[in-house]
Amino acid sequence: MPPEAASPAVAPPSLDPAGAERLTAWLRDYRPIPGVPDELFDATGRPRPHWLHFLGELADYPAGQIRSRFNLATRHIRDTGVSYRIYGEENERSWPINPVPLILDQVEWAKIAAGVEQRARLMESVLGDIYGDGRLVAEGAIPAAAITGSPDFIRPLRGVPPPGGRYLQLYAADLARAPDGRWWVLGDRTQAPSGAGYELENRLVLSRAYPSLYNAMNVERLAPFFDALRKGLASAAERKDPRICLLTPGPFSETYFEQAHLARYLGFLLVEGDDLVVRDGLAYVRTIAGLKRADVLLRRVDADFVDPLELNSASQLGVPGLLEAIRGGGVSVLNLPGSGVLESKALLGFLPRLCRRLLGEELKMPNVATWWCGQPAERALVRSRGDLAIAPAFNGTQTSDPFSRPRLMSDLSAKERAEFLRRLDDRPGDFVGQEVVRLSTMPVLRDDTLAAAPFVLRVYAAATPDGGFQIMPGGFCRTSDLMDVRAISMGEGARTADVWVISDKPVERVSLLANQDEVKVRRLMGHLPSRAADNLFWLGRYLERAEATLRLVRSLCTSLMDSEAAVHTSGETLSKLEELLIDWGALDEDSLGVRALEAARAALHDDEASGSVVTLIRRARRTAASMRERLSADFWTLLLNLENGFNDPSLRLVSEADALQQVESTLQILAALSGLAQENMNRAAGWRFLDMGRRIERAINTCRFTRALAHADATTDDLDLLLDLVDSQITYRARYLVGLAMTPVRDMVMLDPFNPRSMAFQVFALRDHLAALPSLVDDGMMEPPSRVLRVLSTEIETALAVDIDADAVHRFEGSLLSLSTAIADRFFLQGANAVPTIKLVGLA
Amino acid sequence: MIYALRHRTTYDYESRVTFARCVLRLTPRASATQTVMETLLEITPTPSRLFERLGPFGEMTTTVVIDTPHKSLIIEAHSRVDVHTPSGQLDFGAPWESIRARGLETVDLGCDGPASYLYPGVRTPIVPAITDYARLSFPAGRGVVQAASDLMRRIRHDFVYDPKATDVRTPPAEAFAVKRGVCQDFAHIMICGLRGLGLSARYVSGYLRTIPPAGQPRLEGADATHAWVSVWCGAERGWIGFDPTNDIVVQDDHIVLASGRDYSDVAPIDGIILAPGKQTLKVEVDVIPQEELRLLRPAFGAKVT
Repeated sequence: MPPEAASPAVAPPSLDPAGAERLTAWLRDYRPIPGVPDELFDATGRPRPHWLHFLGELADYPAGQIRSRFNLATRHIRDTGVSYRIYGEENERSWPINPVPLILDQVEWAKIAAGVEQRARLMESVLGDIYGDGRLVAEGAIPAAAITGSPDFIRPLRGVPPPGGRYLQLYAADLARAPDGRWWVLGDRTQAPSGAGYELENRLVLSRAYPSLYNAMNVERLAPFFDALRKGLASAAERKDPRICLLTPGPFSETYFEQAHLARYLGFLLVEGDDLVVRDGLAYVRTIAGLKRADVLLRRVDADFVDPLELNSASQLGVPGLLEAIRGGGVSVLNLPGSGVLESKALLGFLPRLCRRLLGEELKMPNVATWWCGQPAERALVRSRGDLAIAPAFNGTQTSDPFSRPRLMSDLSAKERAEFLRRLDDRPGDFVGQEVVRLSTMPVLRDDTLAAAPFVLRVYAAATPDGGFQIMPGGFCRTSDLMDVRAISMGEGARTADVWVISDKPVERVSLLANQDEVKVRRLMGHLPSRAADNLFWLGRYLERAEATLRLVRSLCTSLMDSEAAVHTSGETLSKLEELLIDWGALDEDSLGVRALEAARAALHDDEASGSVVTLIRRARRTAASMRERLSADFWTLLLNLENGFNDPSLRLVSEADALQQVESTLQILAALSGLAQENMNRAAGWRFLDMGRRIERAINTCRFTRALAHADATTDDLDLLLDLVDSQITYRARYLVGLAMTPVRDMVMLDPFNPRSMAFQVFALRDHLAALPSLVDDGMMEPPSRVLRVLSTEIETALAVDIDADAVHRFEGSLLSLSTAIADRFFLQGANAVPTIKLVGLA
Repeated sequence: MIYALRHRTTYDYESRVTFARCVLRLTPRASATQTVMETLLEITPTPSRLFERLGPFGEMTTTVVIDTPHKSLIIEAHSRVDVHTPSGQLDFGAPWESIRARGLETVDLGCDGPASYLYPGVRTPIVPAITDYARLSFPAGRGVVQAASDLMRRIRHDFVYDPKATDVRTPPAEAFAVKRGVCQDFAHIMICGLRGLGLSARYVSGYLRTIPPAGQPRLEGADATHAWVSVWCGAERGWIGFDPTNDIVVQDDHIVLASGRDYSDVAPIDGIILAPGKQTLKVEVDVIPQEELRLLRPAFGAKVT
């Protein structure tokens, strides 16, 4: 590109000698590939000024600081951010972030933005025709068969005006800079473009790692784009203050955390298909306060899966009747199911003509030359040229097929080539031939060396309320570690980079702060979805159960170490502890009678055992992960710390003291977690469910401990242990100087409303929670959970400790279990009142 | 030929169903060769909402929502249909390769154009073994009608009708491997073969006239739904039906209910219910040619006319 296009005139930074030396070394060792355009060096081999500015400042950081700053920022964001996955570390986000962003000046960016904006308009217009009056096909501008091959051609929505007036809310184009220096479109994302959330994360990391540099370079902010996205979605609703949901395929989805992050950032409700129902042509979210209208769905579920009734009947991810609701205009789903039809490579070759025809404009940014083999002349051309790539014309073909991904003709073996040509003869419409695109390179920093790496850039456009599109000044950039610059070798990319668009004037500091006058003050976040209530409740239960198990293990260890309290050394108490652990599922049944250390080890670390501490902690973290958007960053970080303590392979428990130490440190984190929940969580319904889970679990556990240790034949050792387990030793000793006796112990652990560890205390707390939650009935009758609880609490209030025998405790425990079921039935998706949705059996 | 049709489906549930949403494809489709004279749907319990519209493949669909609690659901469809396919000997048709080329060129995106039936589907993937099997009927230059007839004849000959070998979910590759199945399997296999060669083929659901054994009365409810294949033979000839289960080119013995890309597009009943328990399903079908109607017991015929 011509040197004068490189803009803002930035004075070369004044470096200290070490920095200057480093910069010189970086530039000296940087090797662009001959004949391939590079972002750092211009065509004359000189570094572009904005890159020089950035690298100069970067080099100026004291040695070792870049990496430590960057690592610190990355770790922080990773711990609190979007990249954490549920199912094991191996699935964690696959792309590390490049410490160097892709830097584009405004002149360059203006071209990209104009090209993407035009393309977004073109896409909207083509969709309007395909699903509208169909003139493009009828008049021969697009062959019908170039459309029908796409699994995203959703026939039931032909002729349906899109609710909200448009098909696309979010569009993205994958771009590459070709050898001629121009930007080319590699492909279009019209279904549900991913990656915008990752770009938010990348931006957070870089702006934290180099805050002053970020501010000094006038980097365009991302917030206005996301604001436009949100306003665009809101404008698609019928109601003025719409409820907007992000429809996700759920935690198994590859990009689930990106979706959760976006939902949280944008303030949308994250919902899965079975959180939603369609009634009378409208869509609703199931919440603890009943069905609440869902006005707009930002769709991340593939079109074919959104409605098992009218589309793929095997789908578990959709909402039965959703298409009917769309047809009736009762819900806006964006991008509208069916928009993905434009992702087909078959259509790429037709776009320049379509642009002229529909917009009366020349395509500003060319796409890769593509020939759909469904046309005879194009097929002949593809057959005759050995230098092309071949690719499936449509998405979603069988993945076991060797031709289901792009291949270079020249890479095919003789056998594969013959096979391909036969397939081409049999079903020509399944393939396209494409010019092989060569990518440009940008700098990546690896081990303090600057290297050139091929990259692809995804740029996003969001529809605005006025019908236009706003372009995100930035994007999702992926770089490859291979030096192969053919786009086809790129795959999913190895790393990502933030994308900085450099303004020549200082940028306004904006965040997602709305105009003051528009904001209606509200104190509660709307109705809690039933699924979230369920997850919070179980998170509370898992954490509490982990704590109880830890206390058992602690007693197990101290019984052998505590010389003074030789009390517990008797084999009897040891075996009682082991029995409790077995009952719990923390130990397997054969473990009865093993040495205390062995039992402690297993109860802490046996990941096969359903009730071991490690299993409970992992469950807690998974449960939390599926509602990541509802938990504070601190809470999440503590949960991760909790689990990390159990993942460290170097941690070996060789003595009771080791085990005890781990128990203590884990209990401390648990205490910090419950402290956070008490002090920092909003007193809304979500907190209540978390606390209810904790309370009910603690009450049940206290009953179990009491039954095992305060039965009729209990010894003072047993009672002593019981006080340890329910953490009431000090209170008891202070209150009763006479020593251990059955009745006062039973009173203190079961009935005492002032002891925060007693069963009674938990039950009264539960009563307060239920009273504060919404009721679904208006006939003055009590809902079942309240009814169960009323009986239980009355019994506790009126009971005398002398009457609390094993049977009574057993009865309390039974009531608590019924209460838990009643809560599940009333509030959660899988409860008995929310009956499962099942398919009618087929073949009638 | 005029037929009276009765198609009664009964669902019995173990526990009470509080909500049901169903899509019904039980109303025969009108076409140039089939006139629908009368149709009637009786649903018990009575739906709270019911709306009809034309489905994406030209089929009549009825969406019903039932929110009366019920333990059994009965859906009974009655219709009277006149089938009048022009009779006469079929010619061989244009060379099949030219038909394949025409299919890709079509400017018809609608449900009766060939474009929607060219590609593999959920229930009809491209299976190389089936494509190669079909290929034997399609030597270069052969007329498309002749070639498709030959493929139909070979399926009838090479496969065993065996209701126990497969069920409604069996993929075509499996039925093809065991060379057994029912009308649905044979139709799917033939479609896979035709599409494997780039031709446009659709799945047709409907009914077949049955002739009771000589001297025996027609048994009530003893008929069944049927499925076959329709092949696009060029813009002039249009769609021609081939029944691989019986090796006959479709004429006045076949009554069309709906057609689509594969079974999942035409399933007579698709639905979801809110219910925790099990369900059982019973289907009764009567296909009665008009001339037999007056011979039947009054109660039997009266319901239909």
